[in-house]
Amino acid sequence: MIAVLNDLFGCHKECRSVYFPVTQETGCMKVLLAGLAAFLAGSIAVESAAAPPDKLALTGGRIITVTGDDIEEGTVLIKHGRIVEVGADVDLPYDAMEIDTTGMVLMPGMIDPQSPRGLDRPNENVPVVPFLNVYDAIDPSRLFFENSLRDGITSVHVMQGNNTVVSALSRVVRPIGLSVDEMTVEPEVGLKLAVTPRSGADRISQMFELREAFAKLEHELNRLAEEKYEESLEEDENIDVGPGEARQQGRELLRDSDFSDKQRNLVRLLRGDLSAWFYAGRATDVGPAVEFSRHLGILDSSILVLGNEAHRAVTELEDAQRPVVLDPSLYHRSRDPMTGEIEEVFVPRIIHDAGLEFALQPNPSASMAERYLNYQAAICVREGLPREVAFKAITYYPAKMLGLEDDLGAIEPGKRANIVVFSGDPLDFDSWVEQVFIDGVLAYERDRDHRLQKLLRLEREGHEVIDPGPDPDEGDTKTDRESGEQASDAGADA
Amino acid sequence: MRTLTVFCVAVSMLLIVSAMSPANAAGDNGLVAFRVGKVITFDSDDRVINNAVVLVRDGRIEAIERARDFDIPDEAKVVEKPQAWLTPGLVELHNHTAGSLGDLNDLVYLTNPGLRTLETVVPETENVKRARAGGVTTALLIPGSGTNLTGFGTIVKFDGPGVDDMVVRSPGSLKIAQAGNPERYWYGVGRTMMNYNTRRTMEQALEYHQRWQAWEDGELDERPLFDPIYDDFRGLYEREYIASVHTQMYQVVMTTIDMLAEHLDVHTVIAHGTFDAWKVAPLVLEAGMDQVQAVVGPRQFHLDNTQRKIHGVAARWWQGGVTELGINTDAPVVPQEELTYQAAMACWYGWTPYEALRGITKVPAEAMLMGNQIGTIEVGKDADFSIWTGDPIDPRSANLMTVINGRIVYDADDERLF
Repeated sequence: MIAVLNDLFGCHKECRSVYFPVTQETGCMKVLLAGLAAFLAGSIAVESAAAPPDKLALTGGRIITVTGDDIEEGTVLIKHGRIVEVGADVDLPYDAMEIDTTGMVLMPGMIDPQSPRGLDRPNENVPVVPFLNVYDAIDPSRLFFENSLRDGITSVHVMQGNNTVVSALSRVVRPIGLSVDEMTVEPEVGLKLAVTPRSGADRISQMFELREAFAKLEHELNRLAEEKYEESLEEDENIDVGPGEARQQGRELLRDSDFSDKQRNLVRLLRGDLSAWFYAGRATDVGPAVEFSRHLGILDSSILVLGNEAHRAVTELEDAQRPVVLDPSLYHRSRDPMTGEIEEVFVPRIIHDAGLEFALQPNPSASMAERYLNYQAAICVREGLPREVAFKAITYYPAKMLGLEDDLGAIEPGKRANIVVFSGDPLDFDSWVEQVFIDGVLAYERDRDHRLQKLLRLEREGHEVIDPGPDPDEGDTKTDRESGEQASDAGADA
Repeated sequence: MRTLTVFCVAVSMLLIVSAMSPANAAGDNGLVAFRVGKVITFDSDDRVINNAVVLVRDGRIEAIERARDFDIPDEAKVVEKPQAWLTPGLVELHNHTAGSLGDLNDLVYLTNPGLRTLETVVPETENVKRARAGGVTTALLIPGSGTNLTGFGTIVKFDGPGVDDMVVRSPGSLKIAQAGNPERYWYGVGRTMMNYNTRRTMEQALEYHQRWQAWEDGELDERPLFDPIYDDFRGLYEREYIASVHTQMYQVVMTTIDMLAEHLDVHTVIAHGTFDAWKVAPLVLEAGMDQVQAVVGPRQFHLDNTQRKIHGVAARWWQGGVTELGINTDAPVVPQEELTYQAAMACWYGWTPYEALRGITKVPAEAMLMGNQIGTIEVGKDADFSIWTGDPIDPRSANLMTVINGRIVYDADDERLF
């Protein structure tokens, strides 16, 4: 019957190319494993849906461990997604799959320290949203994640943008997986607190809203504590303590289940369970950020996200001694209003000399190579920073800021097997990302990167490579590919 | 129905007078035999019976037999269409033409539990008549997608003349719009806000349901308060009806499966599934096709700009292993009577005609949990079918006759609409 109908319409089940490497027969678990290794159907598809091996040995390459010395012709032994042994002389178990990386250079997977680019939009229109979670808006199909993988970034801290007062709860994900759960490395990291005014606000109202959020919390917690205290009394018992004492006793009775959604994450922030990522876009905002952090008693769990000019507040930064996330533009240029002289400052130099740990960010809006984190690190070395610091700024330091230094940021036993295999030194700009391993799974191979191979082939054959225009996933702009599609979909749908 | 408004009754009374339907085909004994060239049954053996008789008694199918092996009872009225195809009545899971377009949805809050399309159903409209002429017998009438939760849908047959004659089940579904329209609510919301709020509403309704369940199980001393806002959710959580979800694009459909099917454990139907949503097919398989079904449309293809490639929406879902797959019109986005064209489009972009016909009959019937009553030609089921000059998926074919509950509601010999 079906065959007859097929003939009638000249159409067969297999008449179109099977682009999505999933058939009914492969079965669900296999499919999900393939999903891990291949992420989405598309340019980085791995044809086979076989399960990844339990034990893996990367042999023969130069290993940049980041936290220790480099190892020439070393071996990394991986078991169930974790690194178990690193060294020049490692005995391989008989059942380990060996991958020869002779002539290559291995480094830990790079970390994007904070980015809203995995979300449908950087911020909500409501300024104080600690009850929200980026989980609800992370889109695994974004080109951003595919590009991150291609560029050797194995962990992304997805955090809402700077146009906020208190942001949604952030999380760390890997750029592979079919669902957010599959991508997630650490589901609860921190909140962004913006000191620099969001659009439409000035510094007075911004700080007011920030203070008010916590003042309101304090007020509500006091009220809750009083209720708790009264509940704790026997029926005929009289209140024989002052209100301050009653509140204090009541506070100790409060449990997590007593807090509303709007309170819960702020309480955890104050307890230090979540980290506070203060956005200080200008030098003038650094002081208030540090002061407010001290006022809340959370300086020890605070990170400062700086704008391009904020290094001018180096005295305040030095005083706070907290790690910072630097603006993607590493040079600050200013013109003297009187003489017209142009002054150029290399920001990481100032931060490093102040004794601070810093994380570098990729710069997606630059048309140049700044979108690669290893390029950002290379610039630091060119400007005279120690090579070790430059590598740590794209691996170990952001891992520490995220509280994940036991899992990420170095090639050493016990850590997640997130490893980027470069064709040469990562700081040489003619080196390519050849392979990327995430949790011991081969997640990327340059030979199978169909998108990249297509571009390279066009160039080799002398075709003009069409400029695809701005990256469709990028930015705060309304020209975002998805909002465009969404709008047209909505238009077609009643 | 217990909650009909006076208004609806008044309107339907007027319409009864103005639009009397064609007379019942059956004789006094309620017996009618349809003699046709081919019957597509979609029964469990996928039988296709050529030169067959379908015998209907009192609105139900009594027999399906080869004509040469079957003696038609003398007392039966006989409808002769010896060249024609008889297929199950077409089933539309995504229809907004319950009343006027002004009734599409009430945009009061970001989620609006407590509302029902039942209050807006108008019988015998031009839309209803055209749907019948297109062979469509059953539809789930749902509110629009202006907010994240726009209310409860109604399953109707395009029978008449009154509202009571139409309604099969109310509530018939809960309508959720995961994203991709509610963004325009008031001053604008994004997915963190929308999904948080939708989840909260659903969880509050679940708490209400669990409280009542506890009372019914004798675990509570005090009878819970009745709340009309949340009471309709009880049937949803009892799995008496489904959540039909306006959801399209990868992340949004992923969230639908995660939130509704996995977290809240309700029977979920992906009622758009367009753009690159087909890539979540493995998640549908993981959740199980008895928990999540895809009835896709109205657009049947996706132009992938980065790949410079056109994907057939249904074909991609099918290749991803989602074999319980249906097609919709999203009427009035695509007119209801063009449901067969929607299926033809799906085939143009790579799907198979036989499966596509199943995708507008049996699959949507099962997806709205009506599979034991409609969607196939089997003994004991409702006598809902249409009779075509050829394969309904072939755009050259025309519908000759539509039968609902054994009653001929459209006959091209009397007045052919198209």
